[in-house]
Amino acid sequence: MRNWFNGSIVAAVLATAAVSAVISLSVARGQGQAARPARTPNGQPNFNGVWQALNEAHWDLQSHEARAGMVTQKGVYDYEYARVPAAPVVALGAAAGVPGSLGVVQGDGQIPYRPEAAAIKKENSENWIDRDPELKCYLPGVPRAMYMPYPFAIVQGTDKIHMTYAFSNAGRVIHMNKVAGPPDDTYMGHSVGHWEKDTLVVEVSNFNGKNWFDRAGNFHSDALHLVERYSPISADAIRYEVTITDPKVFTRPWTIAMPLYRRLEPNATVIDYPCMEFSEEFMYGHLRKQQLVKRWEGETMIVEITRKIPQGERLHDWYRR
Amino acid sequence: MRRRLLEALTVASAMIALMVFLRLSVAGQAPAPQPAASTPARSAAVPKTAWGHPSLEGIWLDEFDTPLERPAKYATREFFTAEERAAQDAERAGNAGRNERAAVGSRQDVAGAYNAVFTSAKPTGRRTSLVVDPPNGRIPALTARAQELNLRDRQYRLALLQNTDTCKNKMTACNGWQYGPPSPVRSEMPPSYNTQRMNRHDGPEDQSMADRCMSGSEPDFGGFRRIVQALDSVAIGVDTGQGQGFQRIVYLSGNHPPNTIRLRHGDSRGHFEGNSLVVETTNFSPKFPIRGAAENLKLVERFTRLSAQTLEYSVTLTDPTVWTAPWTVKQELTLQPDTENRIYYEPRCHEGNYGLPALLIGARVDERKFVEGQGPDPASQDTASCLLNPEPQ
Repeated sequence: MRNWFNGSIVAAVLATAAVSAVISLSVARGQGQAARPARTPNGQPNFNGVWQALNEAHWDLQSHEARAGMVTQKGVYDYEYARVPAAPVVALGAAAGVPGSLGVVQGDGQIPYRPEAAAIKKENSENWIDRDPELKCYLPGVPRAMYMPYPFAIVQGTDKIHMTYAFSNAGRVIHMNKVAGPPDDTYMGHSVGHWEKDTLVVEVSNFNGKNWFDRAGNFHSDALHLVERYSPISADAIRYEVTITDPKVFTRPWTIAMPLYRRLEPNATVIDYPCMEFSEEFMYGHLRKQQLVKRWEGETMIVEITRKIPQGERLHDWYRR
Repeated sequence: MRRRLLEALTVASAMIALMVFLRLSVAGQAPAPQPAASTPARSAAVPKTAWGHPSLEGIWLDEFDTPLERPAKYATREFFTAEERAAQDAERAGNAGRNERAAVGSRQDVAGAYNAVFTSAKPTGRRTSLVVDPPNGRIPALTARAQELNLRDRQYRLALLQNTDTCKNKMTACNGWQYGPPSPVRSEMPPSYNTQRMNRHDGPEDQSMADRCMSGSEPDFGGFRRIVQALDSVAIGVDTGQGQGFQRIVYLSGNHPPNTIRLRHGDSRGHFEGNSLVVETTNFSPKFPIRGAAENLKLVERFTRLSAQTLEYSVTLTDPTVWTAPWTVKQELTLQPDTENRIYYEPRCHEGNYGLPALLIGARVDERKFVEGQGPDPASQDTASCLLNPEPQ
């Protein structure tokens, strides 16, 4: 696992960041977007705005090769690398693969599962479609919400910081003042933050254990405890680091880290991804009077794909056009 | 190189300080708000943020019970007297009807399981209605087009009921319709995108938005609102409808997206006018209409901090395709203690929604039983409305 936050790069980046933060004060960002000071009037780094991770952690926190499909099956060879796309995605061609990644797990890149938990992770991975709460549009939990492939907004108030995620319109409040913990466990956790110089440190607890970390089946229990650290790299990038502790699932704490990037386009806006309604066919399609996906056996969806290549769209037609 | 960098950083710090100073100075010169005749006197001690905007932060709730529209007998009178409020509270406290049961074992008894414990009543508010404009406190007349759409929708719903005992026994839910054989419309698409409960359960779209965990919509008058406020945006977390809350972001800059972007909660852009945050919301989705208004709906909300404990909220709804005039609602919201309200803003109705699949499974079982000759025709069963309106016409 390579550590891309190498010391000298950090120094250089921070130096450039300080200067570029100032430039951003005087340079209009574009139509409709006000120039944003590098610090809030309270003196903290200004994290207000629309942000998004730009990596493949939502597929798998660990380093991984690119794959031929979101769901694959054994091809003509026994090799893992020779698997081919399986029925749920084969009709989508190269649009349904999985991009490779260097991974975001720090240190040796390994997730320290207890042996019994490692077996569950493997099963999760093999039963991704059936088990991943993302496919049902359940509240994504933390830290997963932070690096899903959708933007989110940070609103940095006086004693609360509010995050609103495009995915499922999920939200989260970080309490910067003293409040008691919630009376029940939660999907999005109970977040309590404080500043350590320019780093926002957030402890997150009171999870109900129903969330995953990614689409690879990495998971946790209700004993999850997070320490998130948000440190400015520049006015437009945050180093986001999370130390993950869960003695029911892991043998020791472990850490992931990645940059979060400000969405710099003019008029950057979080456009909701209303997946609750999008997931109804997946969840309840078998209960329709007139089924839309044509073959269900009980709750088993059997997707029969008929892909006719229209006249004029065959390879030799297209190539000669 | 290092020295140059230090120089640059020094200049940078000076610029930041200057910009912050200028920004605060400008904010500090905001014009004083004009008091409105119908609102309580504004306290001098309106809390401000560090950057000079009136602070709207906190958890806010309308602690009083006020009907949306004003009963006609109050005409243009906006407020109750203290005696009238006390009398109404006394009357409702003594209303045993909310705890009365229908015949044990009947459908009505099961459907009436929400007794006074679940439907707790807030004290009577000082307003005779939430609607303050038009002055009669009533929502303006619908346009001819909206009336036509409403009529088609109502006729469709009534047709789904026509073979049930609700129509046979002339219950109020069948008002304006006649008992008859199962209607052919049972196999037809509804005249518009369905958002209410109806007497057909062919799939998820036949259920109400509430049954699908999507009932939270703007404007919401009953729920809690948590406001977190920054220099250039405001977040509003709304808790409403048994875990059907939602998050809003009010951007204080930028423009509404193109009208091809349609959002369940619309797109909100705001600015401060004196002590008020003024928010314009457009780009609503046709899937989530508010009293029939959707794609052409525009909201203009005003959040005005009146005192340490009070936030005045008003919203004007405009949709010339639905209403013949705009109308305005006003509420006074009270600050709620943060420490005692820690979790309710997590909207997790969808995650535990056993009800929706159970309802669809029940409908499929009923159909199968009927085909096998072991149950009544599902078209003859009212599984939507009669239970809520058991009184005869």
